[in-house]
Amino acid sequence: MNYFVFQIKTALSNFGRNKVRTVLTSLGILIGVLSVVILIALGLGLRNFIQGEFDSLGSNLLFILPGDVIGDDGQFSGGGGGGVISTSFDERDVSSLRSRINAEFIVPLYTSNARAQAGDITKSADVFASTQEAFTLFNFEPESGDLFNESDVTKRSKVVVLGNAIAKDLFGEPSNAVGQTVRFSEQRFKVLGVLKEEGGGNFGGPNFDRGLFIPYTTSFVTINTDRKFFAIYVRGSFEQDVEELKSQIERALLRRYDEDQFSVVKQTEVLNAIQSIFSIINTVLLAIGSISLVVGGIGIMNIMYANVTERTKEIGIRRAVGATKKDILFQFLTESVLLSVVGGVLAVVLAALIVAVVQQFFPLALDATAVLVALGISSAIGIFFGVFPARRAANLTPIEAIRYE
Amino acid sequence: MIATEKVSKVYQIADGEFYALKDVSINIKDHEFVSILGTSGSGKSTLMHIIGLLDRPSSGKVLIDDKDVSLLSDSELSSLRGQAIGFVFQQFNLIQKLTVLENILLPTQYVKGKLGFDAKKYAMELLTRFGISEKANIYPNRLSGGQQQRVAIARALIMKPTLVLADEPTGNLDSKTGEEILKLLESLNEELGVTVCIVTHDKNVAHRTKRQIFVKDGQIVAKY
Repeated sequence: MNYFVFQIKTALSNFGRNKVRTVLTSLGILIGVLSVVILIALGLGLRNFIQGEFDSLGSNLLFILPGDVIGDDGQFSGGGGGGVISTSFDERDVSSLRSRINAEFIVPLYTSNARAQAGDITKSADVFASTQEAFTLFNFEPESGDLFNESDVTKRSKVVVLGNAIAKDLFGEPSNAVGQTVRFSEQRFKVLGVLKEEGGGNFGGPNFDRGLFIPYTTSFVTINTDRKFFAIYVRGSFEQDVEELKSQIERALLRRYDEDQFSVVKQTEVLNAIQSIFSIINTVLLAIGSISLVVGGIGIMNIMYANVTERTKEIGIRRAVGATKKDILFQFLTESVLLSVVGGVLAVVLAALIVAVVQQFFPLALDATAVLVALGISSAIGIFFGVFPARRAANLTPIEAIRYE
Repeated sequence: MIATEKVSKVYQIADGEFYALKDVSINIKDHEFVSILGTSGSGKSTLMHIIGLLDRPSSGKVLIDDKDVSLLSDSELSSLRGQAIGFVFQQFNLIQKLTVLENILLPTQYVKGKLGFDAKKYAMELLTRFGISEKANIYPNRLSGGQQQRVAIARALIMKPTLVLADEPTGNLDSKTGEEILKLLESLNEELGVTVCIVTHDKNVAHRTKRQIFVKDGQIVAKY
């Protein structure tokens, strides 16, 4: 025990004499570890975020999508048959499903881009045309005004529910929007209400905050004159077996389509596919982050070699008074490990601060694994890059070392 | 107690071999006060390094208490060197970033296992004996040459070695201070019974010891 204290004290006293050098060397490791920890936090944060989004939809949700979207291995196969999706669904499919399967919701969805105009302000937005059930399905609630209802769908009312961000863009305050008129697709729509802020849309997903939600029947006479749907969402009741529901849907659709013209995807399959994409992205980011760690490690190695040369005489003196090769090896390893571990610990502290601040705007999460990985990596770097200089020090013959000037 | 048997040290040079030492056999008994005398390049330093276990001979044997040390591993050699032999160098060779007391205690840090005595108390006793006890907690660069050499001698004694090897111990000191250091080494031998071996080129220094070993061109030329 005393021996470790002695070695650590020796290392610290050496750091004390070369403060600038010590700080700069540790800084190299700090930056490397920091980048790795932040990238892990980013990956984890995105994963948690997506998990949360999907969980809020419920696990008994199924998507019916055109084309062969997800392969048998659960990975996205890239939109099926050369990437051209020729199929889309129509009202006939929806009523066919309604008559053949027993589900809580069967919600068709059409989406399109539009330029929304109110007064003299024009903004780009996304049109989502569906039934009133879509609001329940996606857990959307109004911040101001009301949502459209079944009678609006039946009557093809020219009404719109605005996403939070587009409402702010067009009318300043969401509450100002209610009762006003918005023009898009050369039609005028009365604003019924504005949704609460949803977030999302950052990662290529739909941005509901910029959405113009209209009854699908209304879209048939305005922007969706082909009367097509791009997706149909089906949610089973709580106690329903999702697999059973999935095969019911497949049987119903096979009456009209070939097997490769549509996909019925469980929410968990989509989640798995997205997670697998994220783990690839994470791996790539980590590899990039690791480069800075290696650079930091080389910095340590460089300084340790300089240390060995500078302190050759000291090594000789220590050998003369009884230090073994192992003692010298251990002394220099202690120094390089301390340098990198101090860098690693500071990086973790700094990462915690950064995560705490950035979390306000962007999903980031720091967990024990990331911290342990950071500390593990930094000590491994200290050992790996310290061992070569330390061995050079240990292998100096005492007599050459002590004569060194 | 420490002896060499036909020790040679050979270096390979461009035109063949160079014998720094050739068939050197000496014997230093316990409690002796002896000097190894020779000019620069005579091989006296090489001999001291081999006796001090800092270097290994190319051939021949080094015996400590009749035990051949040539077969010992680096760790065994290091701990024997640390415990049985104390070194005093011309350049003092103190570690500048350690205090006087830390320098003196340095050999004790490398002892594996229990020391068997209170090293710090003993270090203070030595400092008191050498008249520099008030310097214990300052750094060597604040000391005069004579004081630094006393610290080096205290470090050489801290493990209670049987042999102190002093390599030109007065070489960096003025004659008055050199004389004080020589008196100190004499008193170690007389009062503490430590074997002292001084390596020097200076006849006056050598004649202060009870026996001289002359080295010339890597060989022993005379023993008294």
